[in-house]
This record gives sequence, structure tokens and C-alpha cells, in this order.
Amino acid sequence: MRDGVSRRRQRGRRNHIRCRLLVFLLLAALLLLAVIFAEELCPYDPNAQIFQPLQPPGGGHIAGTDRLGRDLFSRILVGLRTSVFSTLALVAVIAAAGTAVGVLSGYCGGLLDGWMMRVSDVCLAFPGLVFALAIAALLGGGIQNAVIALAVISWPKYARLARGQTMAIKSSDYVAAARLAGDTAPQIILRHILPNSTGPILITAVLDIGTMMMELAGLSFLGLGATPPTAELGSMMSDGRSMLQTYPWVVLGPGIAIFVAVAVFNLLGDTVRDCLDPRNSHRT
Amino acid sequence: MKTRQRKTDSVKRNWRPARLAAACLALLLLAGCSAGGEPSQGAAGTTFVLGDTTFNPENEELDVNPHNAYSGWACIRYGVGETLFRYSDGMEIEPWLATGYRLVDELTWEITVRGGVTFSSGRPLDAQAVKECLEHLVEVHGRARGDLMIDTIEAEGQTVTIRTTQPRATLLNYLSDPYGCIIDMEAGVTEEGIVAGTGPYVAVSLRTGEELVLTKNSQYWGGEPGFDTVKVLTITDGDTLTMALQSGEIDAAYGMPYASYPLFQNDGYVFSSCATSRAFFMTMNYGSAVMQDPAVRRAIAMGIDKERFVEELLGGHGYVAAGAYPDHFSFGGGAVTAKSYDPEGAKAVLEAAGWVDTDGDGVREKGGQALAIRYLTYPSRQELPLLAEAVQATLEDIGFAVTIYNTADVHTYRSDPGAWDLYASAMVTAPTGDPEYFFTTHCLAGSPANNGGYANARLEQLAAELSGTFDPERRGELAVEMQQLLLDDDAFVFCSHLQMSLIAQADVAGLVAHPCDFYEITADLRPAA
Repeated sequence: MRDGVSRRRQRGRRNHIRCRLLVFLLLAALLLLAVIFAEELCPYDPNAQIFQPLQPPGGGHIAGTDRLGRDLFSRILVGLRTSVFSTLALVAVIAAAGTAVGVLSGYCGGLLDGWMMRVSDVCLAFPGLVFALAIAALLGGGIQNAVIALAVISWPKYARLARGQTMAIKSSDYVAAARLAGDTAPQIILRHILPNSTGPILITAVLDIGTMMMELAGLSFLGLGATPPTAELGSMMSDGRSMLQTYPWVVLGPGIAIFVAVAVFNLLGDTVRDCLDPRNSHRT
Repeated sequence: MKTRQRKTDSVKRNWRPARLAAACLALLLLAGCSAGGEPSQGAAGTTFVLGDTTFNPENEELDVNPHNAYSGWACIRYGVGETLFRYSDGMEIEPWLATGYRLVDELTWEITVRGGVTFSSGRPLDAQAVKECLEHLVEVHGRARGDLMIDTIEAEGQTVTIRTTQPRATLLNYLSDPYGCIIDMEAGVTEEGIVAGTGPYVAVSLRTGEELVLTKNSQYWGGEPGFDTVKVLTITDGDTLTMALQSGEIDAAYGMPYASYPLFQNDGYVFSSCATSRAFFMTMNYGSAVMQDPAVRRAIAMGIDKERFVEELLGGHGYVAAGAYPDHFSFGGGAVTAKSYDPEGAKAVLEAAGWVDTDGDGVREKGGQALAIRYLTYPSRQELPLLAEAVQATLEDIGFAVTIYNTADVHTYRSDPGAWDLYASAMVTAPTGDPEYFFTTHCLAGSPANNGGYANARLEQLAAELSGTFDPERRGELAVEMQQLLLDDDAFVFCSHLQMSLIAQADVAGLVAHPCDFYEITADLRPAA
């Protein structure tokens, strides 16, 4: 009887998580569609300085106009695209690079492992954003350089995670069996280690999207990200910060866009984690 | 019941630290609120705090030593130094540390120095002190040496006799430049760059680019200064300056962004504004390959929408510029003809010169070289970055690719001719009330700020004539002709002249903006009655 209640509860919880996953996947898909078709959705050219500056939201401009007389809604859409695509590229790069380093390090062990982990320790020892600022300043302005700067400091987290997973899987029975069956090291990595360590890395990557988006926006806010006239949410907020008290919509528009995008990706990450959590699986 | 009581006790115990923390926070907040509001008055007397965006190395104002680059501006602005002559509100020359002068012949000037004035070091001001100061100035300051053309200086009692190498009609104007502040050379210059002047305040400590502290000069000859202490804080960021004035951390501000003006247009603050000759202008770099093409320079001059910049982006806090000088000068405003905004004309000029967009990417090319320019500017003049983005948009519409370099380290870049193509700056073009200053500092072959390497033989000839001409009418004519040469060569584009404003808390009196842009802290500055 008690088992039945517990099973029903677990099933209900699983259904709730699936529902949440569906909703957040839908929201993320909507967001991605909006940024993919940003150009088509823009009512005006986002760089055209042809309107009366600092018009409040309403009339022909849903989000108002900025100090240079550009339509803010168009710039927010295009800025969101810059932010989202840069973030996705950044997360993909750091997840791939970190995983590759971690798997190699964990599987080979020895000197290679020691050397790679000391390099990652050096990267982890620096305060993240300060290190990124230094690299971005060295490389110069531009969103590409900001992505490179953040990539340089962010890969060790994935390397550590992948290394731990690899070391655990490497010593498991089925890997020993595969080795006895004559599988080579690349085969073991590709067939057994990578597929079994994908889950935690995927969850970390999805959860990282929001954080990386904020960090990219932070670099742009400080003038080390997107350069004019590229629309990017962080630099748009920076441009408008002197008008927060007088013309608040110039800052609030991009601010709300960042908030929504980060919230959607963070909630999606949380839900993916819940979904892949073995405790919520029907087998437990 | 007992359980409930225990719970209540437990809740109370848990609340105690929270209440304590809340009380501490409230106290801190209250302490923060009480910090600002009015000029502070304590045991040390009254203190006035000025926030300034420009007192920093970016503007070559490193200290208050007038013999060091543009530091004379800080020396005179903050009430440390005074010059022999000064400018009236109408930019006419009037005596200050001098009481009068006599032009003995074309080369010889006899100046009578005011008696009863002492330096903050205690030394009385006399002709010998003036001689020592001016001799040191022309020895170490290249711009002053070129402007003043001093051959010899003789001192006797309160009379200084200056002999110039050439007839120098504007000697008194140049002696009124901030570098002409008279300082006590016997007292010397401290390591911090502090000097002993004759002004209403005495510099006591200085941290370059951060803070200057001054105290009242109780021996001041022009009346008792209104504050016991004056602090000048360098606040380069416009938003920080805005919030500092709002919170009462500072009592007045210089260089407030125009976007913040609405916050202070109420009874709590006092504005003092006036039109100045400070111009936003662009220098073309003749050392850059792309800028050597006259068509490119002309297209740039035709591709800048000055009217929109002034009316819409500056919110009317400026005036459209044609030449170097505003229209309150007889040789300024419409006295010259500048190219007006004409994007279609600019496109035609570029087409005719062979700049065509062959690959359809919106950027023109010629001989495989893209029409790409590097636009250099700096942030401490709050509206320069705004101008940069406005110009970028209109030039890109014509077929340029414009990359903006907005950096506080502008001097490193502009001194390297290979690092930029177009340089936008904000300079006072006629601080001496006379047209010669701008040409000698920016346009001639030997000018210290001729960043673009512009050279024109006819301009040099006219400059030589201007230098020796005493007749104001002829000087005006020469200035017009010289400006027209600059405009015809498209060596410079003058965008706008600015309205300068000082904003102070309502309980501050005597802080008045002056057209020359460098008289700020005077003995008249005091708490409002």
C-alpha cells in the first residue's frame, strides 16, 4: 500500500518535472526563434539614427528611442541575438575544450594529468572576471575578443568535472571488460567514457548559459565587449546608465531582456538537472 | 501552551541578532544620509567640494604648476594663481596683478605690477618675482615660448619691461593665458607639483588625477575668501559626478553631462552658464594614407550632420560651428563658409575620386583598399563619444567603415600618426580673446598640437603677418582668411561650440561661469547667506 502511494507520488513528481521541462524548452525555443529571426522582427533598422532621441515607449516605438535616436526595440532584439549567440558559442567552446582536456587528463593520468591540472589550477586561482578583463584589455574591444577572454578562464570547471567522471568510469568493470575484449584507448573513450559523462557536463553547460551571458554583458558594460554601433545588451545598458534617473527606459529595456533570457536558461538548466537526476528516475 | 511559549522565546532569541543588525544598518544609512546637503562646517571651518571631470592627465592637467603643460588651467581655475592681466566678461583685457602697461615701442612693453600683493609663501610681489617667473616659463614651456616671443625682461621696483623678438600685438592676451600665472620661483615647485601663487586659495596637498586640497589665503589682497577649505575631486565619470552632486558629496560640479541637467533644474541647485569658444572639432591626419586623398577629407566634412548633433543630441546646449570661433567674435561664426551636411554630394565626391563599393558590403574601395577610418576620441568630455557614434552612422551611410577608439590614453595614440585617421577633441579656441591662439597651437608646422601634421605655406605666411599686426580689424580679417584656408583644405571640421555650465547646491554663492572657461574659484565663492 505504502509502496503504491510512494510510486504514485514519484510518478506525479516525474510528470511535474516533464511539464516544467516542456514549458522551459518552449520558452527557450521561442527565445531562440526571436533571436534567429531578429532582423525580420525588427520594425526599424537598429543602427539608423533617424528618430527624435529619447522618446518614451509608445507611439511608433514600443521600447522608445535611445540617445542617438535609434529604435530601442529593434536594438534590443538584435542585441539579444548578439548576446545569446555569443553565449552559446562560448559555452560550446568551453564545454568541448574542458571536456577534452579533462577526459585526456583523467584517462592518461601521470605526468600529463599533473601538468594539465596545474594549468587549470592557475586559471582557477585568478578571480574570474578580473582575469577576463585583463585578457579582454590585452586583446582589445569586440565581442569576439570578449568571448575568447571568457573562454580562457572558464574551461577548467569542465576539465575538472570531466576528469572526475573519467577516473570513476575508467575503473568500472565494463571498461575493464572492454579493455580485455581488445578495445583501444580511443575506442574506450568514445564508446564508454564520453557517453557516460555527458549528463553532468550537459547540465553544467545549460546552467552556465545564464552566468556566461551575464559575464559577457558585464564585459560589454565595462567597454571591453561589443564596439559601436553593434547592439549588445551590456553595452546598451552602459550607454544608457547616465540616463537611469531621467530616461529610465533606455536602461530598463535591455535590462529586462537580459533578465528574461538569463532566467529562461537558468530555469531550463535546473529542470534538465532534475530530469536527469537518478532520484527522479522511475528505476529508483 | 509551554511548547508555544518555548517557540515564542526561541523566535525572540532568533530575532535579537536580526534586530541588532537592522538597527546597525539603519544607523549606517542615517549616517550616510547626513553626509551631504550643504557646504560642511565643522571645527576646521567651512569646506567647499568641487567635482571636476577634467582635472586629470588626460587633459594634460597633472598638477597646479602653470609651467607644466596645461596645468596652468588648474592653477587659475582653483584659485591658486593669478595672471598680470585678465579677461572681462566681454573677453576684453583688464589689469589684475598689473595695474597698467605702456607700449614703449613695437617691441617693448612696460608693465606696472600691483603693490601690496604677497605670494602664499610670504614673499611680496614685485617686478623681480615676475621676471623670475616669466623667465622660467619661457625656458620650460614650449607653447609659452612660441606665444610670448620674449627676448629680454628687466625688473625695477614694481616695473617690468619686456622686450619681444618680434612685434607682438597679443602679448597681454598671452600673459593672461593660464600658463602666465605668476608664481614664486624662490619657493619653487614641490614634488607634488604645488606652487606658491597669489590667489585666494593655497594648495596644500595634491594627488594627480584624484584630489587637490586648498586652504584659504588669509593674506589675499582681493578680499577675504569665503571658504576655509576647498577640495577639488577629479571625477571623470559623468554618472558618478551626477550622483555625487545629488548625494551632497560635492557642492558643485564642472563638466556635468547634458543628459543629467534635468535632475538639477530645480530650486535645490544653481546653474551658471555661458557660451564659450570651446569647440568640438575634428583633425584630419595627413600622415594617414587614406586621409591624404582630398576627396576623402571633403566627403568627411560633407558627411557630418552638425545641426542634428547640436539640436537633438546636445539638446540645444551648444551652437553649430562653421569655423574655429563662435559668432560672438567678429572673426567667428558665419564670417567663414563651411561645408554643410550633404550625404549625396559626399557620395558623388567619392565616386568621382574612384571610391566605389565593388563588393556590395556597404564600404567603398579603391585600388583594393577599403575606405576604413579610425576615429580617435576620449571620454572625459562627456559628449565626445556621442559625437563619435553620430559621425560613425552618417559616414557609414556614405560608404566609410568607421572604427571608434574612445580612450582616456588619447595622448599616446594621437602622438603616433600611424594609429588614427580622424581625431575628435574639445578645445577652447580663443581663450585669450584673440584668434591667434588656435592657429599657433594647432595649425602651423611648429604647433605643439598640430596632431594631423597639417602644413600650408600660405597659412604660415598669414600667421606671420597676424603675429605682427596690431590693428584689431586687420587681425580679424586675417583670422577669417586663415580659417577659410583650413576649411578649404578640409584639414579640420568644426562641429559645435559649447555652452559651459557650473552647477552648484543652492547654498553656494559666487560660483560663476566665465566665457574664457578658466575662472572658477574666486574670493567671491562663499556659502549663500
